[in-house]
Amino acid sequence: MHRYPRWPIHLALIGVSFLMLIPFYWVLKTSVTGENIFAYPPSILPKSPHPFYYVDVWYYIPFARYFLNSIIVSLLTVAANVVFNAMAGYALTRDFPAKSFVLLLFLSCMMVPFQATIIPAYLITGRLGLLDSYLGLALPQFSTIVCIFVFKASFDAVPRSLIDAARIDGLSEWRIIWQIMMPLAKGAIATNVILAFIWSWNNFLWPLIVTRSADMQTLPLGLARFLSYQEDTTGALYAFCIMVLAPGIVLFLLAQNEFIRGLASGATKG
Amino acid sequence: MSANPVEDPFWRRLVLNRFVLVPALLAVAIALWNVYVAAHDHGIVAGRVVDGAGRPVPDAAVVLWVLNFTTYVEKTRATTDSAGRFVITNNDSHNIRLAAEKPGVGRSARVPVRLYFRAQDIELREPLILLSAS
Repeated sequence: MHRYPRWPIHLALIGVSFLMLIPFYWVLKTSVTGENIFAYPPSILPKSPHPFYYVDVWYYIPFARYFLNSIIVSLLTVAANVVFNAMAGYALTRDFPAKSFVLLLFLSCMMVPFQATIIPAYLITGRLGLLDSYLGLALPQFSTIVCIFVFKASFDAVPRSLIDAARIDGLSEWRIIWQIMMPLAKGAIATNVILAFIWSWNNFLWPLIVTRSADMQTLPLGLARFLSYQEDTTGALYAFCIMVLAPGIVLFLLAQNEFIRGLASGATKG
Repeated sequence: MSANPVEDPFWRRLVLNRFVLVPALLAVAIALWNVYVAAHDHGIVAGRVVDGAGRPVPDAAVVLWVLNFTTYVEKTRATTDSAGRFVITNNDSHNIRLAAEKPGVGRSARVPVRLYFRAQDIELREPLILLSAS
């Protein structure tokens, strides 16, 4: 029994939610009407909505190819993030010499912007012969420090006695990670999946630098190419944005519980 | 789906969850759409041409324009039969315009036609109406 009514809080939250959704609604409305965003007075409800701007986007640029490229790169990134971040996160739960220094190094690396490391990243990718390839597109995002700490926080919550029992039973460190820790870290896995997917999906700068052929471009590059082709893009541009955003939104809606749980555990136990 | 996962067999837990069902439904919808497209993408555009009084106009020239990136260019022509009907069979665009003309009778407005996919078969609901310049 609450001491005070909760409906005013819920009412306020619903109001704020509507405010947050207005830009999304506006983009969606423009994508099916083509109304100029600067039109005055603005129409709240769409007039004569139709899906033809989506058809235009599909055919004006090789959308299916870009979509496939983005999917492949994102899947590579997500898989690598889960594997590598889990391994790094588990390592950081163990005691080893200079552990504090390594943690400090990781935290300090978070302050280095990606733009500052682009040239060495490009040179390394080039030396590996991975320019203009899916692996080259995904490589710099194979591990992210934020997600390593999400895994570390999740693994720290696992009782030490459980790991000791597994070790006494003869499990190797590798099997402890995958058979003991990972099933207990679903929130961290979901957080890794969503964050890695969204970061990879929206990445523009690295694909712009590392791709050479049009066939290897991803959706954000396709958007830039689309803008350079078309002049009157009000409706089609917004339709393109919806088509780019949709997979990320679907993924978030599917895994939002695990995502929030994982972020919350990372926030409180980091 | 049961509330108690212990009672569910492994295959059921593996298949009947939102991470499998939602992509599966999307895949089914995409497959059905592609089947529909494959069955209706012969590039047929059919319709009628009438005069201002609503009478069929035979031997009228119907012109099909397709969007060539930023401008519409003439793609093909057809001629109406005695009932005023025309059939174009080689449209490969999703964004077309149609117009009809017959010397001595008049010409129609250029009618924009948007299609859901390239080369979609379509029967125009409204006829092209020839109006004299005078």
